[in-house]
Amino acid sequence: MDLNFLIKTAASALAIALLVALAAWARIARLTPSLDEAAVRDILAFEFPGVQAASIWISEDGHGAIVRVSDEAFIVYRIGDSYVARSAPWALLAKAEPKNGAIDLRLADADAPRARFKLGEGAVWPPAFEAAA
Amino acid sequence: MTFDPVTLATPFFILLVIAEILAAKFAKTRTNYEARDTATSLAMGLGSTVAGVLIGGLVAGVTLWVYQHRVFTIPMTAVWAWLAIFFLEDLTYYGFHRLSHERRFWWAAHVNHHSSQHYNLSTALRQTWTGGINGTWLLWMPLAFLGFPPTMIAIEKGVSLVYQFWIHTEAIKRLPAPIEAVFNTPSHHRVHHARNPRYLDRNYAGILIIWDRMFGSFEPERDEEPPRYGIVKNLGDFNIVRVAFHEWIGIGRDLTQARSLRDVLGYVFGPPGWRPDGEGTTSEDLRRAWRERVGKGSQSST
Repeated sequence: MDLNFLIKTAASALAIALLVALAAWARIARLTPSLDEAAVRDILAFEFPGVQAASIWISEDGHGAIVRVSDEAFIVYRIGDSYVARSAPWALLAKAEPKNGAIDLRLADADAPRARFKLGEGAVWPPAFEAAA
Repeated sequence: MTFDPVTLATPFFILLVIAEILAAKFAKTRTNYEARDTATSLAMGLGSTVAGVLIGGLVAGVTLWVYQHRVFTIPMTAVWAWLAIFFLEDLTYYGFHRLSHERRFWWAAHVNHHSSQHYNLSTALRQTWTGGINGTWLLWMPLAFLGFPPTMIAIEKGVSLVYQFWIHTEAIKRLPAPIEAVFNTPSHHRVHHARNPRYLDRNYAGILIIWDRMFGSFEPERDEEPPRYGIVKNLGDFNIVRVAFHEWIGIGRDLTQARSLRDVLGYVFGPPGWRPDGEGTTSEDLRRAWRERVGKGSQSST
C-alpha cells in the first residue's frame, strides 16, 4: 500500500471519529423508554407472530423481557436504541446463574451470542410464568 | 484512472451526513442516528474501501483481459455509448443485487449492508468487506466483452454507487410521481431495507426502478405499514467483525450439519433461511405465513 492510500485511510478514520462524535452530541437516537407489557407484546407480535404470552417478565432496567411458552423462551433485549429478539430453550434460561445482579445468557447463535438481563434486588430466578391460555 | 465518481463524491457524502444529523437535531426531520450504529456503519465503509483496494488489481486485470477479447469496440466519446452503458450497467446492477439477496452465498457478502436497524445516510456507507471474494464483479464482464472500455464501466459503476448514497434517508418522504415511477428513490429504497414480510426482497434497483416493475419485484412503500429496518434476525451487538462475517460463519455452522450433497448445496446456494426440512425462514416462507395471517384482503392489494 502506498503512502497516499495510508493518508487517505487515516483521514477517513478521523472523519469517522468526528461524525460519530457529532451523532452522539446530537442525541437523535430513537426514544426507547423502559419496556412495558404493551411494548413487549408489540415486539413479539412482529418477531414471533402467533406467540401468545400469558405473562411477561421484564428486567429491572426495562431493557429486556422474557416470555415462556411451554419449553421455549422468547427473549427481547435492547441494543443501542433498538431491540433484538430470539428464541431459546427454556432450560437454557432456567439453568442460568444470576451474577452481579444480572443474568448473562449465552445463546447458541453466532449473530446474537449474548443477552443480559438486569435483576431487581431479591428477584427470583428463573421467573415464574402463568400458564399460557 | 483519472475520473473516479466515488472519490470525488466522498467529501459530499461526509457533508450530507453532517447535514442530515443537524437537520434531525434542529429541524426535527424524521431521522435517527445512534452513535454506535453510526460508528459501525462508517467503519464498515472504511473497511470496504481497504478490501476493495486489495481485490481491485484482480478485478481490473480480468476486466482488461476480457476487453482484449471484445466483440465490438465502443468509443468512450460517443453519447450513445454512455446512454447504452447507463442502462446496461443499471440492469447488471439489478441482477447482481437480486442475486445478492436471493442466494445465500452472495447474501453472505451483502447482508452487512442491511444489518443496521437504522436507515440514514450512514447506512449507505455500511458496505461489504467480502464482496470481492464471492465473484459478483464477474457479472460486469459481459459489458467488457461487448466492447465497453474498462474505464467506462468503472465510471458508470461509480455513478451508480454515488446515486445510491442519497436515497438512504428518511428525511425525504416522496418525490413527484414521475420521478417515483422511473427512478429509485428514498421511498422505494426504504422498502428494500425493510424486514416487514410484505417488503422482503423487493426493490433491487440501482438507479432506475423500472427493472423492478418489469421483473415483478416492485413494492411501493405504504403509509399504513412503516418499514422496520434491519434483517430477519437482527444482530445482537455492534461488533464489526460479526457484522462483516456472521453469515459466512452461519454457512460454516450449517455445513457441519449437512447430511447430503443436497443439504450442502441448499445451505450454500439456497435462499437465505433455507433448511433441508422445509422449516426454514426464507423470505418466501415469511411472506406466505404473513399472507395467511392477514388473509386474502391484504393479498389483493399487493
